[in-house]
Amino acid sequence: MSGAEQRSEVFERAAAESLIGGYRTLPATRDEMMDADGQPRRHWQPFLAALAELGPEELRRRFSAADRYLRDSGVFYRVYDDAGGGERPWSLSHMPLIIGNSDWEALSAGLIERAELLEEVLQDLYGDAHLVADGDLPAAAVAGSPEFLRPLVGVRPEGGRFLRVYAADVGRGPDGRWWVLADRTQAPSGAGYALENRLASTRALPDVSRNLNMKRVAAFFQALRTSLMKLDRSGEGRIGLLTPGPLNETYFEHALLARYLGFLLVEGEDLTVRGDTLHVRTVAGLRRIDVLLRRLDSDFADPLELNAGSRLGVPGLVQSVRMGGVAMANALGTGIIEAPALLAFLPRIATRLTGRPLSLPHVATWWCGQPAERAQVMEHLDELVISSAFGRALPGLPDGGSVLGADLTQADRRRLSTLLARRGADVVGQDIARLSTTPVWTGEKLTPRPFMLRVFLTATEKGWSVMPGGFCRISSAADARAVSMQKGDRSADVWVLADGEVADTTLLPSPDNVKVRRSSGTLPSRAADNLFWLGRYVERAEATLRLSRVLVGRLAESGDTGTSPLVSRLLGLLGAWGAMPRDLARATPTRYAVAVLTRRDVPGALPQLVQAARSAASVIRDRFSPDAWRALVDLETCVSQPVPAAPSEADVAERADAALRIIAAFSGLASENMNRLTGWRFLEIGRRTERAIGTLRFARTFGEIGAPQGSLDALLQVADSLITYRTRYVMMEARGPVLDLVLLDPDNPRSVAFQVHRMANHLKVLPGRDQDAPPPLWERIVARMQAELAASTAESFEPQWFDAMEKMLMQLSDEVSSHYFLQGHSPEMTLTFGM
Amino acid sequence: MLYDIRQTTTYSYQVPVRVVRQVLRMTPVDRFGHQHVIAHILDVDPEPAELEQGTDFFGNGLTWLTIDQPHGHLSITTRSRVDVTSTPLPDPATTPLVDEVRAAALEEMDLGPDAAAHGLFPSRAVPIDNEITDWTATSFRGDRPVLEAALELMHRVHDEFTYEPGATIVTTSPHEAFAAKAGVCQDFAQVMIAGLRGLGLPARYVSGYLRTIPPEGQPRLEGADATHAWAEVWCGPAFGWIGLDPTNAIPAGDDHIILAVGRDYADVSPVDGVIVSSGDHILAVGVDVVPVQGR
Repeated sequence: MSGAEQRSEVFERAAAESLIGGYRTLPATRDEMMDADGQPRRHWQPFLAALAELGPEELRRRFSAADRYLRDSGVFYRVYDDAGGGERPWSLSHMPLIIGNSDWEALSAGLIERAELLEEVLQDLYGDAHLVADGDLPAAAVAGSPEFLRPLVGVRPEGGRFLRVYAADVGRGPDGRWWVLADRTQAPSGAGYALENRLASTRALPDVSRNLNMKRVAAFFQALRTSLMKLDRSGEGRIGLLTPGPLNETYFEHALLARYLGFLLVEGEDLTVRGDTLHVRTVAGLRRIDVLLRRLDSDFADPLELNAGSRLGVPGLVQSVRMGGVAMANALGTGIIEAPALLAFLPRIATRLTGRPLSLPHVATWWCGQPAERAQVMEHLDELVISSAFGRALPGLPDGGSVLGADLTQADRRRLSTLLARRGADVVGQDIARLSTTPVWTGEKLTPRPFMLRVFLTATEKGWSVMPGGFCRISSAADARAVSMQKGDRSADVWVLADGEVADTTLLPSPDNVKVRRSSGTLPSRAADNLFWLGRYVERAEATLRLSRVLVGRLAESGDTGTSPLVSRLLGLLGAWGAMPRDLARATPTRYAVAVLTRRDVPGALPQLVQAARSAASVIRDRFSPDAWRALVDLETCVSQPVPAAPSEADVAERADAALRIIAAFSGLASENMNRLTGWRFLEIGRRTERAIGTLRFARTFGEIGAPQGSLDALLQVADSLITYRTRYVMMEARGPVLDLVLLDPDNPRSVAFQVHRMANHLKVLPGRDQDAPPPLWERIVARMQAELAASTAESFEPQWFDAMEKMLMQLSDEVSSHYFLQGHSPEMTLTFGM
Repeated sequence: MLYDIRQTTTYSYQVPVRVVRQVLRMTPVDRFGHQHVIAHILDVDPEPAELEQGTDFFGNGLTWLTIDQPHGHLSITTRSRVDVTSTPLPDPATTPLVDEVRAAALEEMDLGPDAAAHGLFPSRAVPIDNEITDWTATSFRGDRPVLEAALELMHRVHDEFTYEPGATIVTTSPHEAFAAKAGVCQDFAQVMIAGLRGLGLPARYVSGYLRTIPPEGQPRLEGADATHAWAEVWCGPAFGWIGLDPTNAIPAGDDHIILAVGRDYADVSPVDGVIVSSGDHILAVGVDVVPVQGR
């Protein structure tokens, strides 16, 4: 060490002292930041010094910036046990876990060695099963796993590999060695969350992270994408990320990764097997897809040959895999590696297959399918964790999952002893791993907490590539036993420090390998369906808000009562589409408006419309900018805010205004950021259809001859055309000019004519349209509407005219749905109209 | 015994169906020591666009088919000629003890189609059930020959349960059938399997046919007019799988023609399929098993 380096280290230590002065490590536990003498470890010192230099005030400001980033990008995961089926916001510990270069290199090398071994084990188990025949692995330790998928035995995966993505949960023991706690081979989650954590933490500490030579994670994702691209034999460049759908706890991550990697986010029902190859249903017809990054558990992947009860899979997928029609990462059946029973035999298998022991140890495991091991486990029960050998719930054991032997009651022990005598093969005993701790920021000071680290690897042509970093989960309790870590409640970014300079990598391709592309890519039918309905829901919400605003506005201006003819027409419109509660009779207009805006139990009222819009959007999250998504979340938040106990007209108007502003923002963001791609056109068609129907209804109700006083003014307000009218006419509202403006004027973006022209333009350019063939039915319907509008004058509107127009719009919606969207799908997406 | 077997399965749809993709397990195959298949014909109407045949993991005959023309009616007909010469039941007293079989099952070094290990664990349709296990346990003292205990279990199921078509459906769990003490062949077989597995003894599920017309002077067997099901218990490496039919309280013999074996009904269900349709369908199954004259 040079003199200068020594001086800088002394300086750093002094500066860091303010931050770590009160930091006390846990007894008999290793800490990542502090050594046994209470001194910060060397690779933490520059970081601590940089933090200390910022000062506590600035730190708090920086950390809340990271929180804001995560909230604004909508990072979440779904919590199954939450009563509301809710999404839990992401919780990031602001202190990264810092790992030095040589430490990391050793861990990486051990994990690569392990990944290679696990690949060999899979090749064997789904091949000739020599490991079983030679006595290195009991047949029951394989057959017991629900993830040993018998239809896949003898099937060589396309591309030759079972594992393409491997993750390991590791922890560090008191002796400083890394231990593998669990292997993740089914469909490892967390890489996307790691990416978000990295974005958040570098946003909070840009200067600090830059100066520390932190290794970048983007190269890992690039390697993953490149190696999957190589499997695309048809050369159509389509890779799907197969997700179980928005109800999955990590769906956010699926959408995020699909967007980041440029993959198509697909659910089982988007895909179909024809012949032996796999295709995605798009609005332009079936398109071949050769590669799937699988986030759906194997067993659900094909109802024909795997779990017949699965509604998430693709019928015939196994047969397609068998015939080499599709490559999957990871291959079907890789989940078998995750069975704890296998850990008991892995050391022996390693020696057998590679000639040497594993350099990275894993938690010691005894499989109770063997008599000696069974006796051992019973004898040392108090020092062990008891777990299910194959991940199934164990009858007669508390919790069904892992349990500390020492925590078992006398009755539990009797049950366990019976279980072991009858079905020992279902049980493993494992050593209790003691985890090291890492500092977390509690708002005031640093506190040590145990953690588990998930490290991600991907297979490339040149071997395994390790993401330098990972997904760190931190326990909320100080208990350092691994078993209590199953539900880590906070996560942290992981900084791996390089020795030298670090090259920049982003996932944007370098200029020399970018292919120019203008085509709209591939739009799955399901995505188009949801975009169309999103458009309709948002527009319906807007119309509902405008009607409510006029309802209270009329009242405030003219003192109308609930029984005035105009108010009852407004209520009639809302009632027709089910926005009005049935249990509210003879209330004041304000109470009606409040009900329309806040009642969750009324199917057509605002909360359910907004909820429906958001669920439609949540299925296609990969197609939205975070800002547009954020606007929808804001809308839901706005709608669900409580109203004052006795709301005034002003309160209602204020609520409606706020919600309308958010909808305007959403519209702007959607049209600015979605480009003019096919997906945007379906969103547009949905909105235009809904707006045309709504405007026809308003015009008919308020534009009728003999309509009550104030009707034309109300019509201009709900059709948002008051200002246009005033700039065009200086006179009072008159029936002819008002109806012309809201129905026929092609230059008024709110008029029915304008909506119909827009739809005509969109429909003409949708993919799959044969320009030489006669126009399809839906285009002819639009043409008829255009002719009808062109031939009408403000004097010619009869009730039958409105009926005919509305009928054509409904027919148009049906025709577009049945041609472009999935057949017989999404019965839940409907809107009531009433008549 | 030589049999001609004919099975017809007919779907009638209320609304015509556009696309059907199915996996059929309706083709009997040779079973060493039990049966030899002389001929087999499969007819599907309407004509499938794609049809492939092969075997599954357990060696059962498998047919993958796709029909992609609109149709209101689908019929699948199989005709098979099978020669059954079953191995006689060993003397139960000579079979290994229950404890020995339990230990041997865990030591097996075989992962092939007939391996004991596949019958050892809970499966989709037959989870481990503590009540059934405890009820079964009274017959299975550790020092008792396994086949003797298994035959007793077979008789207990036959005697204590009521054979009652319509009492259960194809998805009824062993737990429910056990509680009702009633059901059909599928339920009886699955209750037996659940009990054996609960005690760490390998057991598996067999689907097949029974001869329809009994030999003169003998009663007609239950379940002969449809596909039948029974259980097999693994009696140690020397004796292997032995078939027991709790519905009729007899070992599986020359009257039993094996169609498919697996861990439970889910592994051998004759048709697994996905239908793209908005309407409901009606299913009719007919089976004829006729001994060939002149033997």
